[in-house]
Amino acid sequence: MKRALVLASLVLIVLAAGTAAFTQSFSVQLGLNRGPTQPINFSHKIHAGQLGMNCLYCHYGAEKSPIANLPPVSTCMGCHKIAAADKPEIQKLSGYFQRGEQVPWVEVYWLPDHVKFNHKRHVRAGIECQSCHGPVQEMAAVYQYPSLKMGWCVSCHRQKLDDPVHPATMDCVVCHH
Amino acid sequence: MSETYVFNRRDFLKLAGIGAAGAISGCGHRPAEKLIPYLIAPEDILPGVPYWYASTCRECPAGCGILVKAREGRAIKIEGNPAHPVNRGGLCARGQAGLQGLYDPDRVAAPMARENGAWRKLTWDEALKRAGERIGDASRNRKGVALLTGHETGAFEKLCGAWAAGAGGARLAYEPFAPVALREANRRTFGQAAVPYLDFAGTHFLISFGADFLETWGSPVGYMRAFSEMRARKDGGTFVAVEPRLSLTGANADEWVAIRPGGEMALALGMAGVILTEGLGPALSDRGTLADAVTAFTPEEVERGTDVPADTVRRLARRFAAAHPSLAVAGGIAAQSEQAVALHAAVNLLNYVAGNIGRSVRFDRTLNYDTVAPVSELQNLAGQMARGAIDVLVVHGANPVYSLPAWAGFSAAMDHVPFKISLSPVLDETAERCDLILPSTHPLETLGDAQPERGVYSIIQPAMQRLPVFDARPAGDTLIALASAAGFGSAFAEGWNEYVKTEWKALHQRFGAGRDFETFWNETLAKGGVWEEVSAPSVTWQSAPAFAAPELRGAGDLALVLYPSPVHYDGRGANKPWLQELPDPTTKAVWGSWVEIHPETAAKLGVRRGDAVKVETEAGSVELPAYLYGGLRKDTIAVPLGQGHTAYGRFAQGRGVNALALLPPAQDAASGTLAYLVAKATVRPTGHAGTLVLAQREKEQADRAVARIIPISALTGGPREPHGGARAPGEHPAEGEKPFAELPSQHRLGHDTEPRLKPPGEKTPAHALTAFVPEDTVRGPRAIPIRQGSYANAKHRWALAIDTDSCTGCSACVVACSAENNVPVVGPELVKRGREMTWIRIERFEERLEPGRSDVRFVPMMCQHCGDAPCEIVCPVYATYHNPEGLNVQVYNRCVGTRYCSNNCPYKVRAFNFFDYSAPEKETFAFPEPLNWQLNPDVTVRSKGVMEKCTMCVQRILEGKGNAKDEQREVRDGEIQPACAQSCPTQAIVFGDLADPESKVSRLSRDERGYWVLDELNTKPGVTYLKKIQREIT
Repeated sequence: MKRALVLASLVLIVLAAGTAAFTQSFSVQLGLNRGPTQPINFSHKIHAGQLGMNCLYCHYGAEKSPIANLPPVSTCMGCHKIAAADKPEIQKLSGYFQRGEQVPWVEVYWLPDHVKFNHKRHVRAGIECQSCHGPVQEMAAVYQYPSLKMGWCVSCHRQKLDDPVHPATMDCVVCHH
Repeated sequence: MSETYVFNRRDFLKLAGIGAAGAISGCGHRPAEKLIPYLIAPEDILPGVPYWYASTCRECPAGCGILVKAREGRAIKIEGNPAHPVNRGGLCARGQAGLQGLYDPDRVAAPMARENGAWRKLTWDEALKRAGERIGDASRNRKGVALLTGHETGAFEKLCGAWAAGAGGARLAYEPFAPVALREANRRTFGQAAVPYLDFAGTHFLISFGADFLETWGSPVGYMRAFSEMRARKDGGTFVAVEPRLSLTGANADEWVAIRPGGEMALALGMAGVILTEGLGPALSDRGTLADAVTAFTPEEVERGTDVPADTVRRLARRFAAAHPSLAVAGGIAAQSEQAVALHAAVNLLNYVAGNIGRSVRFDRTLNYDTVAPVSELQNLAGQMARGAIDVLVVHGANPVYSLPAWAGFSAAMDHVPFKISLSPVLDETAERCDLILPSTHPLETLGDAQPERGVYSIIQPAMQRLPVFDARPAGDTLIALASAAGFGSAFAEGWNEYVKTEWKALHQRFGAGRDFETFWNETLAKGGVWEEVSAPSVTWQSAPAFAAPELRGAGDLALVLYPSPVHYDGRGANKPWLQELPDPTTKAVWGSWVEIHPETAAKLGVRRGDAVKVETEAGSVELPAYLYGGLRKDTIAVPLGQGHTAYGRFAQGRGVNALALLPPAQDAASGTLAYLVAKATVRPTGHAGTLVLAQREKEQADRAVARIIPISALTGGPREPHGGARAPGEHPAEGEKPFAELPSQHRLGHDTEPRLKPPGEKTPAHALTAFVPEDTVRGPRAIPIRQGSYANAKHRWALAIDTDSCTGCSACVVACSAENNVPVVGPELVKRGREMTWIRIERFEERLEPGRSDVRFVPMMCQHCGDAPCEIVCPVYATYHNPEGLNVQVYNRCVGTRYCSNNCPYKVRAFNFFDYSAPEKETFAFPEPLNWQLNPDVTVRSKGVMEKCTMCVQRILEGKGNAKDEQREVRDGEIQPACAQSCPTQAIVFGDLADPESKVSRLSRDERGYWVLDELNTKPGVTYLKKIQREIT
């Protein structure tokens, strides 16, 4: 009896620990509507939403390169030398800039090495940023909106197979090479 | 009675299992990494988009123009610069591997001083101060300072001269295989101390006396291109190789004259004698005196001295005189004997009497070896060092401790120099003997220039910032800083970059044409340099030196041929893993050295392939594994140079042996060069096995017709003209042939093998297009191609056409492929077990290895991208499939590693990741930091347990299609080039779209020489080979 109890409690503890580790590590990946804590509390809601800034102003590579790119710190400072320069978060930013340090943003979207995604091709085909990244203009802290599983990619590609202008492809090698 | 609870083994295992499951589920995701933005974005640089920088290759003296591809500030690929006059787009394996010199994990990280036998790191200030004081003392007290460099041209050459003059010391440039003897012979015979321009492309009859001009001699990439142009001409050109060992160059010859080692000079003079006595050449005023000089060399006399039949001498002479122009070229080891100048003079005489001087041998675009010193001067320096006359020795770009035999005295003399400074970026044998290392940057991270040929001013520019892991400085900056510290720096500009720019201001005067300097400079950087036409001085015959044939010395009965390795050159390539694993084009051996012995000689000695034998000369002995090679004279053995390093990094150390130990003291008295062809040797079996790792063990085809040949007389359209050309790919039948459906099935009769009749109007989808269907092909019932989804409307069918007549076997494509596609290097143990990972290999087939008409064929073999691929149908998880554009694709993330595909592939072109070559924590890790910086971010780095193979560089196809889409146009033919095709110096590999009947690949695939390897298997490959042309020898 005692033995069974010990066993059962051990099993429970192990399972609980496993579940905790599972959910924690997958929280970003599963898109549980909360992004990671960033070094600066940057809000897309203010910049892309309230101010209506174009995504490509900061993510300047999205239509020219496979990589969308993060804005250089100097781009942030272009406005924030003056704008809201007294706010504590902006002071953090100018602190980085003055020290000559890059801001260590925590990545939200990640693809493994065997997936080659090309931003340029999608943006030039007229796909809205929001179709993949979700309502970024409403996100105070950006979180991973889609699952980023292959089925999610393919569901869209399958719909646009016969698109007259920008037909999508279902060829594996286009992403996996 | 209380129950005591015992936690037994079974329970523990159960719980451990559950725990493990929990742990695994918890660790399924990698922790989020940091994304680091630029602080201030560099102008014009966009992450994700490659940038190209024009520069000059520094892996050998040829100075080919290169384009360096940089991604996110890292150089990741080197390609030949198509606009550069030296190489015109191709680049050899050694040049491609320059990247691994840049990212060599064994580079010196910071200045170091040797203290009590151990290296101690210094700061640059400290090191420069220490060195400057010593140099200053020595130069003020008129004690000797010596600056020893490798072959240098341009601004650095000038700086070295000025630096040595400022220090009041000596300056010496040493290059092991530089054609110093040729320079001397030209001075004596033509009054021009220069290495002439050789017009291979315009030649009709080419005879080479030992010159390995397709491998290491002169400017190999440029020569290769010109050689293939000669071959492609409709009237063609004949090439005769005169050499005791059939080299890679000789393997491309129509005729092999297996001359007795050292007999080359007599043959050249014999041929000249025949031309003069029979009055064949042009009218020459000095015919009489010339004839007198060669009277002793009658064809019969030549036969006695060289084993070349008198009839052959006459035949070759008549052919040589009848061709306008012809070209005789001497070089390689034949021209590195004790009579090197005599041989060159004899060949000069031969060219002169045939009227080639000023036509195929010209002194306009001469190769720049102006300042290279012969070894005799290095010995003088060694003598001064040994006497204690040299206080400070500065070495840069030369490794004489390794590349000179011990008797030259340099190594021993180093002990008598109180202070030795090395500017080497790596701890090579010479640097290891120095007291202070001031590491230099790699040419790919340095500004500079080069003048490899007269009239060519080529730029060397950094393709990336200096690697932060190595605290190195450009050698020019170091020399200038040393001069300042020693007190004679006022003569120099502030820094090396300013020094280079000052030099170019003079060129700006000549080439600037009204533009300001900055515009001119930026244009030059974009283009790779400036070049001009130069005029040739007219030369006449002046005088001949005494003609004497070299005598081989020693007690042995076998002549010893030591030759520079086509892969490692003089040994400088040995620290690059790509080159170590690149099969030698002749033996296909990797990671070591060997001795080549004729099979009959070996049988007499009782030696089998791979046996360790002891090779002994009067100078010393080494133990080497035996390789039995029919392309040798029976009285000759051959050993490659370039291995056997005792220092020079983890990849070079302890591989093979340095065969220079076999060289007895000998020099060419006339030019002061080292004699490599000088010794006789004995070979004794040791009774145990040696280490010989062969990437291709058998060099026979066993009737499989992998490499095919066609006599030139059987060609109807001339050597390279596509035949017919009216037939669109995939459209059968063609004119004059039986209709497709009426062809008999020749192999097996019956329903299953009947060809499918194409209904009228049926269009073959792009992916199923084939170049042609050979007549004897068995066609199965599976011939209905898929036509659903994107398979119906694909526009392209990618394919390759490979001309085996152009392929010289140089293997540049192999390294290009590895660089582009992140192919790991696995090391000798795994190659021995057939687990090499390269996606392309050069198969060598020796059909006939006999003097006279030898027949060696090369077949570049990669995935054939079959239309009916045997690999695709056996994959249980659809990891390999046929894509709509005809590519046979391998999806790494889907592969579970059954290896069925590889088992079913008749071409053996699939490579399996038996180990984790990409995991840093594993012993098999193939990219130790910073070698991994070279990895192409556009290609997946494969992990353990997956299959991989040639993708036809699909990342480049996608990039090309994307560019076309951006510009709203169709893909242009030739716009997309896979790495192999791009690097090929002879353009033997052509990539393109079979769906476009006018594309180059379509036209070549329809050539009458076209064939498929193993076409009887009905695989319908996307790679069409063109048969090698067998030319007549008359």
